[in-house]
Amino acid sequence: MTSGNALTIAESRSGAVCVVALSGRIDSTNAEQLMLRLTQLLSAEEKAVLVDFGGVLYLTSAAFRALLVTADEAERNGARFVLCGVVGQVRELFEMGGLLDAFTIHGSYDEALARLG
Amino acid sequence: MARPPGLIYAVDESPPAAMLALSALQHLAVAANSLVYPMILAREAGLSGTALLSFVSVSMLGLGVATLLFCARTRLIGSGYLCPAGYTQIYLGPSLYALQHGGLSLVYGMTVVAGLMQLGIAPVLRRLRALLPPEIAGLVIAVVGLSLASLGVKYSLGIGVNQRVLPEYVAVAVISLVTMIVFNIWTKGYTKIFCALIGIVVGYAVSAALGLLDLSAAIPKVGLAIVTPPALDHVGWQFEAVMLAPFLVVTVATTLRVMGDVSNAERLNDADWVRPDLRSLSRGVASNGLASMFCGMVGTTGINSYSACIGLSGATGITSRVVGYASGVAFIALAFVPAAAVVFAAMPAPVMGAALFFSSAFVFTAGLQMITARMLDSRKTIVIGFSFAMALMADVYRDVFTGVPAVLQPIFGNALVLGTLCAVLLNLVMRIGVRQRVSLRLESGPVNRDAVEQFLSEHGARWAARRDIVNRATFGAVQVLEVLGDVPGGVEIETSFDEFSLNVRIRYVGMPLVVPEQRPTPRDIISSEEGERLLAGYLLRRSADRVISRSSGERAEVYLHYDH
Repeated sequence: MTSGNALTIAESRSGAVCVVALSGRIDSTNAEQLMLRLTQLLSAEEKAVLVDFGGVLYLTSAAFRALLVTADEAERNGARFVLCGVVGQVRELFEMGGLLDAFTIHGSYDEALARLG
Repeated sequence: MARPPGLIYAVDESPPAAMLALSALQHLAVAANSLVYPMILAREAGLSGTALLSFVSVSMLGLGVATLLFCARTRLIGSGYLCPAGYTQIYLGPSLYALQHGGLSLVYGMTVVAGLMQLGIAPVLRRLRALLPPEIAGLVIAVVGLSLASLGVKYSLGIGVNQRVLPEYVAVAVISLVTMIVFNIWTKGYTKIFCALIGIVVGYAVSAALGLLDLSAAIPKVGLAIVTPPALDHVGWQFEAVMLAPFLVVTVATTLRVMGDVSNAERLNDADWVRPDLRSLSRGVASNGLASMFCGMVGTTGINSYSACIGLSGATGITSRVVGYASGVAFIALAFVPAAAVVFAAMPAPVMGAALFFSSAFVFTAGLQMITARMLDSRKTIVIGFSFAMALMADVYRDVFTGVPAVLQPIFGNALVLGTLCAVLLNLVMRIGVRQRVSLRLESGPVNRDAVEQFLSEHGARWAARRDIVNRATFGAVQVLEVLGDVPGGVEIETSFDEFSLNVRIRYVGMPLVVPEQRPTPRDIISSEEGERLLAGYLLRRSADRVISRSSGERAEVYLHYDH
């Protein structure tokens, strides 16, 4: 874990799926920014949003709240909100928080795209 | 404790009789390679004919007794794991030096002394852990792997005094090695498990076809008895104070190796392995001391755990302790059969080379894994890097080091001894100025995550703490600071480390942090920031091995403890 691990958010599209690739750490300094971006996508009528955690180093409670708010928003909009790349320490944090079941999580990016496609 | 995916028989499990017998035979064939060290000593001592075979028989007796001692699971001795014994190049340099100065009786006497010193180290291993940390044990194992590979190549190429490569040796070694690799990688079941044994048998057959196997040359002119006890009547013991230094280094090096081997055997049985069990290590070291004393008493060279056999267990997935018992008993039985001594004494050098080279890959990578599991700062990097380089230098500049004073030659003439001594001494020197308890003061204002991450990773590396534990502690500290927010008067973070725990204390002025036992519901978390704070406390409780939140007057403290 080194310094300078600010969050970066990269968006791309794969067919009807909006892919949001995250890297760095997600904490109280940037969780609000992430939540805002994800809810904006849902407000813009995106019906399938895939968040790739492959580059995330760790996330704190603020990040979990941002994700839960987004998942709640997606449900109300009838959109699918899916996570992938949840591995290593990040997966451990999901497990510790008992939050693996609170989200739809796929093993890999390709699997997630196949399910959403 | 989790079962590793490739494990077929765990330490406490017993394979069926046929598989047990073949597994024991395979370990026996691999461990028999280590007889090369006593045979080198015997050759230098000018033993031949009956005396040579008798020496090989006694060495087999030593192997058997030592294997039983290493694998035993008792309160005082025995690692409790499949940890067969083997003769070692660590003893070779000092033993040859003793041979020159006082003959075989001085070798035997000093071997008993070395065993006694090791027996003395075993009960205080816990106190010595700072001097003999896991990354240095890993270094020793990696150097052993390289030494095995080097020796394997030498025997495979048939390199002798004239430095010529013998094509027929290369042919035998390549066929034997390729057989082992093919059966290990591209087959399943029995053939994978017995890949080394199959390779050795194929090597013997090819050697016989090429005329490299001559059993009759090893049979004395007077003939062989079918069964006879190993001759012990030639044994005598001498002791010299000047020999203590090189044999003390031997004791430290063999102790580190047995620590590394037992750790490796533990790791093969537990996918969640994080650190060695000191009781197993201590009993393993005691076994090594007793075993070397026994070897010196009966008249052979000192002994150690045999990394190649641990590598074999990893390659085959059979780590059952009873396999060790079986191969130990088999070695003892074979010590009474002179014909067996002939077979081992006549083992073709390229077959020996192929088996050593095959096992070396598993030994070397196991050593590297033990080193890289730790965070290494500049100090530790220098300790590991320099010692590794020095170990290599002993081989690369062998001729140059022959010019060092005679008393130092057992050290400079042996890669493993030089590398180990260098690592232990450098580790001692590099400990100067390393505090085990450090603190960081953060002034009030936005949470400075970079400072916290840098502080913990810098000191984690200085202590050679495990990377995953430091990452968890970093998460914990950042999570606490995030919940506390901007604290008037700032925050003090104190962290301390010993080999068994990493502790973080965060002190501040304010209310104590709530650390709930129940997770807040997703709805609680979404609906309020209080829900998020409760989740933070819950995450802390789950991520640390112990968390205490307390206050005294206006001051509060969060204590996070992580098992290491």
